[in-house]
Amino acid sequence: MKQFVLFIAISFSCFSHAQNAEDVITKINNKFNAVKDYSVNVYIQANIPMLKIMPNKGKLYFKQKDKVKIDSKGITVLPKQGFTELNSFLNEKGAYMAIFGDSVMIRGVKTKLINVIPNNSASDIILVKLWVDLQNNIILRSQLTTKSNGSINIDYSYTDQINYGLPNQLKFEIDVKKFKIPKSIAGDINKTNQQEKTTKEIDKGTITVNFTEYKVNIGLKDEIFSKN
Amino acid sequence: MLLKNTYNELIKIVSKPRSFLGFGALSLLIAIILFAMKADGSSIVSMVTDSFEQTLTFNGNVINGNLIAFIILQMLIVHVPLLIALVTGDLISGEAAMGTIRMMASKPISRTQIVLSKFIAGALYTLLITLWLGFLALFVSHFIFGSGDLIVLNSDGLVILPEADVFWRFGLGFCVAFLSLLTVSALSIFLSAYSENSIGPIVATMSIILVFTIIGSLDASVFNSIKPYMFTTHMAAWRSFFSAEVPFNAIYQSIVILVLHIFSFLGMTLYKFNKKDITS
Repeated sequence: MKQFVLFIAISFSCFSHAQNAEDVITKINNKFNAVKDYSVNVYIQANIPMLKIMPNKGKLYFKQKDKVKIDSKGITVLPKQGFTELNSFLNEKGAYMAIFGDSVMIRGVKTKLINVIPNNSASDIILVKLWVDLQNNIILRSQLTTKSNGSINIDYSYTDQINYGLPNQLKFEIDVKKFKIPKSIAGDINKTNQQEKTTKEIDKGTITVNFTEYKVNIGLKDEIFSKN
Repeated sequence: MLLKNTYNELIKIVSKPRSFLGFGALSLLIAIILFAMKADGSSIVSMVTDSFEQTLTFNGNVINGNLIAFIILQMLIVHVPLLIALVTGDLISGEAAMGTIRMMASKPISRTQIVLSKFIAGALYTLLITLWLGFLALFVSHFIFGSGDLIVLNSDGLVILPEADVFWRFGLGFCVAFLSLLTVSALSIFLSAYSENSIGPIVATMSIILVFTIIGSLDASVFNSIKPYMFTTHMAAWRSFFSAEVPFNAIYQSIVILVLHIFSFLGMTLYKFNKKDITS
């Protein structure tokens, strides 16, 4: 009888924790879904191995559910994943199960880890880890692990748009595979081969995006996203 | 007398149809490149950015006039020496083949001045070819594709240069490219002094460039000691202006070596032509 009671208690405990984690995600989703669209000025700084680029300014447009466009005078570099994929994935009900993990302090704020595991084995996403500030229902850190692009860590900072869950800074840490560019393709035949000795090891790169002057729910038209 | 003879040499160059072959070939090649980039530019550029595009996206006007100009310059700077040698390799040997060299040498002008006037005329032709290349590469491609940041692929990675930081690089790059082509011009004039026909110096010039370029691109350490002294190694110095941090010292060194080559070829041409037996 004791064993039966213990089993029921453990099962209930696990079930209630899973429910709670998904509730937290639902709250985060609700917050973000209150944003129909927005435009924001962005300042992008990239520090990627084997890529030299100056910081650049631009304007980013977003419209639910996953329309993103960036207008900039020059060339900007952004991570392939991390802007819309995470929100789209978290918004798919029944596509994943969420489990609470440990508690961690991030920049002086107590966060709770939520492990999000996709139910579909064919999904490109293998695992999502979210460190959530439960008081404000905002994500302070996430780790997205995919089959195609390795893992990407994102640190979120918030100021004036915390009510919408819109960050004022995103810091992406991405995996970059080192590779060798043949001289014949690069064209600089007078370079010595000492600089070309690269291996297949993976290096980390960071992209920091600062957001200023959010304009939320301004009724952006779809044509903005179709323009080149 | 030197200026007068230089003018005469320029008239001779202009009167030969092969002199316009270079301009025609450049125009045609650049038109083909522009057409290819307009039709299928994104797939050509993705060959360069492919290694990064697994994890990153490049936003903005990637295919722009600056990128096209850079691609054109990189592609054609290998072939332009042939167009230069086609004209300059004929400057002395052409006179020998036609038999006019004896008449020239009998005029009241020194043999040194004859060579110098031919060299100056050849240099002016080289300058015009470089300017034409620059005009087509920069201005026409800007007119068609607009402006923007420049993506440059080096063997140590990708460099994205801001639009405002590009034009001076092209300007100085073309100056160094001109110096490289002038070296080719001096070499072909030098070989021309040894030959009695036009084909020999042209083929010999291209053969030397080809052999030196292959040696330069081989990663064999046995050639490392001679590579810094080969003029072909420094012919690509224009590309250094498109590094994130321009290696000015290396560029100065390349300029010095190219200039030394030019003067060496010119000196050897003067020596040979002054000793040349024109009676037979």
